[in-house]
Amino acid sequence: MEGGEAIGPPLGVRAGALEWARRNPAWVAVGVLALVSVILIITDGLQPFAQRSVNGLVAGSYFALGAIGLTLVYGILKLVNFAHGDTLTLGAYIGFFFNVTLGLPIFIAILLAIALVGLFGVATEKVMWRPMRRKRAGMLQLLLMALGLAFVLRNAIQFVAGTQPRSLDVDVTSTYSFLGLTIGRTELYVVITGFVVLSAVAWMLRSTRLGREMRALADNFDLAETTGIDTGRVVYITWFLAAGLAGLAGVLVVASSGSLNPNTGFFLLLPIFAAVVLGGIGNAFGALAGGIVIGLAQEWSTLVFAPEWKVAVSFVVLIIVLIVRPQGIFGRERTL
Amino acid sequence: MSLPLAISFNFLTAWEFWIGVGVFAGIYGIFVLGLQLNVGYTGIVNFGQAGFMAIGAYSAIILVVEVGVPFLLALVLSVLITMLIGVLIGLPSLRLRADYFAIATIAFSEIIRDIAQNARGLTGGNQGTISLELDNNVFFTDPWFKVSDWISDNILDPIGLSGLEFENLPLLIVVWIALGLLALGMTMLIRSPWGRVLRAIREDEDAARALGKNVLSYKLQSLALSSALGAIAGWFLAFNLQSVSQDNFEPLYTFLGYAILVLGGMATFGGVLVGSIILWTVLEGFRFLDLPLSADKQAALRFMIVGVVLILLMAFRPQGVFGKREEMVLGD
Amino acid sequence: MTEARANGKPILNVQDVHLAFGGIKAVNGATFDVREGSITALIGPNGAGKTTLFNIITGFYKPQAGEITYNGESIFGKPPHAITKRGMVRTFQITKALGAMPVIDNMLLAAPRQPGENLATLLTRRRAVRQREKEIYEHAYELLRTFNLESKANDYAATLSGGQRKLLELARALMTEPRMVLLDEPMAGINPSLGRRLLEHMERLRSEEGVTFLFVEHDMEVVMNHSDEVIVMALGRVISRGTPQEVRSDQRVVDAYLGGSGETEVPEGPPTPPSADGGVQGG
Repeated sequence: MEGGEAIGPPLGVRAGALEWARRNPAWVAVGVLALVSVILIITDGLQPFAQRSVNGLVAGSYFALGAIGLTLVYGILKLVNFAHGDTLTLGAYIGFFFNVTLGLPIFIAILLAIALVGLFGVATEKVMWRPMRRKRAGMLQLLLMALGLAFVLRNAIQFVAGTQPRSLDVDVTSTYSFLGLTIGRTELYVVITGFVVLSAVAWMLRSTRLGREMRALADNFDLAETTGIDTGRVVYITWFLAAGLAGLAGVLVVASSGSLNPNTGFFLLLPIFAAVVLGGIGNAFGALAGGIVIGLAQEWSTLVFAPEWKVAVSFVVLIIVLIVRPQGIFGRERTL
Repeated sequence: MSLPLAISFNFLTAWEFWIGVGVFAGIYGIFVLGLQLNVGYTGIVNFGQAGFMAIGAYSAIILVVEVGVPFLLALVLSVLITMLIGVLIGLPSLRLRADYFAIATIAFSEIIRDIAQNARGLTGGNQGTISLELDNNVFFTDPWFKVSDWISDNILDPIGLSGLEFENLPLLIVVWIALGLLALGMTMLIRSPWGRVLRAIREDEDAARALGKNVLSYKLQSLALSSALGAIAGWFLAFNLQSVSQDNFEPLYTFLGYAILVLGGMATFGGVLVGSIILWTVLEGFRFLDLPLSADKQAALRFMIVGVVLILLMAFRPQGVFGKREEMVLGD
Repeated sequence: MTEARANGKPILNVQDVHLAFGGIKAVNGATFDVREGSITALIGPNGAGKTTLFNIITGFYKPQAGEITYNGESIFGKPPHAITKRGMVRTFQITKALGAMPVIDNMLLAAPRQPGENLATLLTRRRAVRQREKEIYEHAYELLRTFNLESKANDYAATLSGGQRKLLELARALMTEPRMVLLDEPMAGINPSLGRRLLEHMERLRSEEGVTFLFVEHDMEVVMNHSDEVIVMALGRVISRGTPQEVRSDQRVVDAYLGGSGETEVPEGPPTPPSADGGVQGG
């Protein structure tokens, strides 16, 4: 290393490019996506690529809904909530109960699922997480507690509902076609619902006072507390939102995939983690983008690999991101 | 309704059943020794132990059945392969913060399970390894059964424990001898100067660095040893089940491992043995409660109890039943 | 006590070191050297970059530019453990006594050349391990006796008082057989009599064993009365150096302190470090 020279000696072109990439990860991500798209269009044709992209957006919408809650809870409370996947399952079963068992319209069932799962999230905060934070519980203590909660939740669902696969009372056969692409009618509703809700959440986080307070808490909890934010209230609302969105995601998963069992949510947890880490853990907008990218990546992969490897794609993305850029695309370096 | 919790008459007489439970307790005891080394003594949260167990079991079986490597050599190689993969996984991911490492390792173990499920030619897919063995007419567990029969004929039969009634007793004995020796070995390791460095890292990596210790290297060694223990547990699982498939390595088993770890207590290898016995006795002994419930519901109830116990322990006794309070260093 | 040793040759040489966190230039071209066998104080207003510089010298932060040589060899970008092995050890502003280990284990841990810390030699050279363990055990006890911690040897370090922890940290650092010790605010938070003892130890080690000390300190009385040389930093640069008298009368130093009108008004520098594993408390 040269000593005693002026600040910032000129960097080589390669080092300069790397430095640019390090500072503009979002553009790198866009570039990678564009490159992959072009390659897939050339090798597999536009129509198959576009069809997979449509499917990917369907999956991406519920991944993103699940990811936002996970990332908000992590951002604000530094809790890696291993029970989040099972919270999705809970939402799906509540939706099933109102929609199928009681025969209510799916729209009502969805609202009830969001409300009840949201309240469940608030209850876990009140009974478990708040007292544990008071005790200054360590990271592993909270992690294992979340794991315990996941066990309880999944098996309570199995105890009550049994293991037989369930499905919702929705139309899974009719499809729409346009420009040679096909999308199931329910899938279309899922995408629309997903994107409407995601936009609303994004707007809420960006433009409302509550959203600013949440981001302030995620940035620096103690500082936020001293600036007069009612942190207790914000944390409860965060839990309601996180769990409620997970509940919605659960119902949407079952509506679009057509099948539900007590393990459904747990197996979605890792792709959702992938979305969260990709977007930068703790960053809600990142989770949103990450969810959609993971959805697309999984579906695009079926052009190249057999579909059974679809899920592994998200794990590989997760590990690559953790190694190359653990703070994710939108995460600032210092959050790690 | 009659007493729902009546205990059925054969509770204590079902020897073969309890031997089976003991075998599982032993296998997962070995599995959790690795977690104890990682979590209890090094402060790294390894959520991928089931993945290492899978690599151990599959590589041993594939080496014998498909490659034709002699049995004992295959066992040794399987441990080395697993350790190598442990190091390769740890090298990039151990630089991460503890909770990221946990997520990275669980993703790793799910990739392994995906491969086990989908690379059918190599692993037998969902049919399990038995399909490979039938194809090749080579049976991985044959050499083990020779050992097992020898123990039955020469040691157990003479004292009245015939191999017909106590078929799994030799495995129980061998697994628990292995567990005992490994626990002893690990205890000695952790009391050595090497273990002292690990315990320092567990508490404060920067302090260890400032005192001249290469933290990443020690963490890698800890992970490599833990994956070796996972691989050994994998052999015994293969001996016990005679055919393994991907669902034997679900993340559930890593999580049960954590339940054992917490029950037995942090920072004690002896506690692992006790924790494993408690967990498997409770899990399996549950079958003897005459509950008017379907099998699904009973299984759900058992795991619910595991979850509740985990939550209560973390809330009120995080160091576990036999753990050392003073050595409670559960990250921050 | 201000015996400047002008003839000692530099053991540590820091040349134009730069490190910025985001937009904040925590260390901005610091250049100085430390003479062998001296007790050198590093002072400056809060946010001057003293602790960051410590973290850079000892390998906890990777600087973006510059050069650092220790004992004639470049240690720029070397990891902390490698630097400690070369004979330069540090303590931390917030003590890092390992509370979950007994005091004696804290000491034994720090000893170099224990073959038992390597898995292979632990198993193959059992006798050498035992022999070395015995040696370092005796050495550790000797040091604990000097620092009046002998009676605490078997207690968990968590049970020590704040001052005792500082002593333990210095004693533990000495176990690494250093030629140079970096102390980050050794006097902060300990009572005056313990502080005096700490200083006596430093002076004795310097005169008896030729150990070099570089320490960050806010207590000006300590700095002026117990150091051979003083290095003054402000805003990430060295603005003055010399004997305590020289520095005291340097207008730039007065300006640096008064310009911030006291110590507390200059914004505190280093935010959380950029890497996952370099998490050292800034301050």
